[in-house]
Amino acid sequence: MEQFELLTNWAQANVESFMLYLLAAIAIPCAFSVLFDRAIIRSGFFLIGVFGAISGLFLILQAQFLALAQIMIYAVGITLVVVIALMLTNARLEKEFSSIEPTERIGGLLVAALFFLTIYLALRSESWPVSSLQMRADNVLQIGVALLTNYALPFEFASVLLLAALMGAILLAKSDPKETENVTGSLVE
Amino acid sequence: MIKENENVKAMNSSAVPVSIAFAVVVVGMVGVYVCGHLVVWLQNLGLNSFASYPELFVFIAIILLAMLAAAMPGSHRISIISIAAFAGFVALTYNQEILIKYLSLAALLFSIGMYGMVASRNAVRVLMSIELMLNAVNLNLVAFARYVDPVHVRGQVFAIFILTVAAAEAAVGLAIVLAIYRNTATVDMEKFNLLKW
Amino acid sequence: MIPNAAEIRKLSVLSFSWLTVIFVAVWGVCWLVGILIPALLANSSFDFARAVSEICEAITPLLAVMVFIPINAMFMVLMERRVLALFTRRNGPNRVGPDGALQTAADAIKLLLKEDITPTGADAAMFTLAPIIFFAPSIFGAIPLLAAVTNNNKLFQIADLPTGIFFVLAASSIPVVGIVMGGWASNNKYSLMGGLRSAAQAISYEIPLVLSIITICLLAGTLDVVSIAKQQSGGILNWNILGGGALTGLNKAIAAFISSAGPPIAEVIKTYYPYGWLSLIGVIVLCLCTIILFGIYLIGACAEINRIPFDLPEAESELVSGYNTEYSGIKFAIFFLAEFTNLFIVSTIAVVMFLGGGDCPLPTWLNPLSYPAVYIPLTNILSPILSLLIDKIHLINPDTFWAALWVILKTYSLVFFAILVRGTLPRFRIDQLMDFGWKRLVPITLVIFVLVAFARGVINFHV
Repeated sequence: MEQFELLTNWAQANVESFMLYLLAAIAIPCAFSVLFDRAIIRSGFFLIGVFGAISGLFLILQAQFLALAQIMIYAVGITLVVVIALMLTNARLEKEFSSIEPTERIGGLLVAALFFLTIYLALRSESWPVSSLQMRADNVLQIGVALLTNYALPFEFASVLLLAALMGAILLAKSDPKETENVTGSLVE
Repeated sequence: MIKENENVKAMNSSAVPVSIAFAVVVVGMVGVYVCGHLVVWLQNLGLNSFASYPELFVFIAIILLAMLAAAMPGSHRISIISIAAFAGFVALTYNQEILIKYLSLAALLFSIGMYGMVASRNAVRVLMSIELMLNAVNLNLVAFARYVDPVHVRGQVFAIFILTVAAAEAAVGLAIVLAIYRNTATVDMEKFNLLKW
Repeated sequence: MIPNAAEIRKLSVLSFSWLTVIFVAVWGVCWLVGILIPALLANSSFDFARAVSEICEAITPLLAVMVFIPINAMFMVLMERRVLALFTRRNGPNRVGPDGALQTAADAIKLLLKEDITPTGADAAMFTLAPIIFFAPSIFGAIPLLAAVTNNNKLFQIADLPTGIFFVLAASSIPVVGIVMGGWASNNKYSLMGGLRSAAQAISYEIPLVLSIITICLLAGTLDVVSIAKQQSGGILNWNILGGGALTGLNKAIAAFISSAGPPIAEVIKTYYPYGWLSLIGVIVLCLCTIILFGIYLIGACAEINRIPFDLPEAESELVSGYNTEYSGIKFAIFFLAEFTNLFIVSTIAVVMFLGGGDCPLPTWLNPLSYPAVYIPLTNILSPILSLLIDKIHLINPDTFWAALWVILKTYSLVFFAILVRGTLPRFRIDQLMDFGWKRLVPITLVIFVLVAFARGVINFHV
């Protein structure tokens, strides 16, 4: 019985780590699948897996609002746009990774690995000022207040950026009027 | 006929991933053991600063394994690399603070995204890799907000800005890719060389 | 003289019996798992028994949803077919069971026993995953709503979710991924077209949908579903559809006028509407805005769940059956189940956000039949039995019962409205759909958002 209690205490103390590793076990294979999957549309769907796992991590980190925004914006919005773009750009044409030059691949791998190594070693050698305070449950209120007081200017800039991006995307993606005429003409013929 | 042959081939090779995963684990364990001895040896040599990071050897072993797997043909490459990366992640972080676990995971995802950005040929896949990197940065910020700055959650505020920028970037990037595709009928990064010289 | 009065009578008897079955089944399971088992285990001295009772209490909301969804979807399919038949002067299903009441149960059994086919060239893993991704969010999305629709019954209070409505919205935005996935994995061009259309439609119409909900949250001052539902108690004048609480002062003033016991009317009006004419304009603007918002929410929700007139992803005259062309057997059953569950959940969100949740529509001052009054004479007659049921074994919880009854009534009215729309309107064309979404609904919602933000300042809410 005592051992059972010890076990429960240990599990309770480490529950966050377990959840972290569980979600990492989802996120890491999905991330690799995004890079290496043959069918590129499937890798688009794997991207949803990565985003979902990261939103689960946000939930563990008590960032409810961000987790839900992550699901709504990333996992559904952006990824669906990506998948549609993949479907529009005829994904069957690509023979990816089979024809890429090995030097480039190894170079990229080395850069990525050394980058990870650098960050990891830097993380370990630093002593972080971890705060023992608990977060407030309704931190969405704090975020809202911060966005409209201290960060009002970046907030406005972000909105201008979004507007510009929206207009730019529409203008870029709009097909030429001439082309459209040709297409309709051929359809009529 | 051809189809059947392929099926038979696939069935025969289905035992391969399991055995390779097993081999990865065994080799990894042996590697850790050997690395432990190497550490002592290096310490005796006097390279103390280098030897104080024993995880480095685990990491190098994992990288070698991943390179081996990447060099191998077949569709089981992804599972091997994933197992190697996850095992490496756990080995590197299991006795660290919880904050460092989050930050390491974010760094790992960022590196994966970086590799994809460098090595992919499909422009849309490059965009996906960039999204992955932005998400890893978000994870970093939220982890900091939880553990370093839980009172004013500044990390979460910045994560919201990154979310906005990522959405704008995805929209514009995909629109550019579509425009290029309309003109050149390809999304291969190697062929986007109109402005090269 | 109504021409098909007999049909209507049959339909109402059928609906009443089905709803009773749903009610009894769901509450029976909740009572058994959430109250009876923990009560039986309460006196036990084992640690293990305590753990079991805790687990039982924790899974009660999940169990309630899991029992509710299949039975409810069966009834909704039956109701849809019968009501459509009523509109088109047909008979509808009337062979299996009394008056065809068991038709959908038979259909469900048939679908479960059918062979499960994966087409050649399909991506088998994605093909299997798609119905699950389509269905699972509706379960998670329904759980935070449970506490709101049962008058905050403590059985259904889950871990604190200050962003409740946002959670529900996020969950209800996931199913489109399942549609696109299924459409692509089927290796069928009609399915693919259905999936693509669904993605474009869902992304476009999610914006007005979420904006309309967010405007209501702005009025309510909270994202918590339970408190939004609670703020609206006290009759139709307090509901969010009429000004989002702007008429609360009017409600109080009339109550003061009738009872003449409380504070004088002028004082009440002064408290709630401090700026005279400006406040009056604010009230009128708010009332108009919220009514338009309700309409926009219904349109956006219709598009989000692919109902007619927005059923382009499965337009059977153009795309065979759209994204679920290749599905059969249990996977098709899951798609079907999820579609109707999504309709129900979307209606429930509308009820909680706009129509007062589990609140009686009559204002308290106009309500000689308000439920405590009905309930008290009944208690006098049946007091021994009722006190046994309510206080001893907690089989009946009056608050929860009346709230759930009102929610069910309102929700099914909205479902009925959806069926009416289905029987009436033709399908949009895809370019009309996009034009309507982006050029009409989004600007209107944005303008309303700004108007509400200004009009909110001239009135005192929820004093």
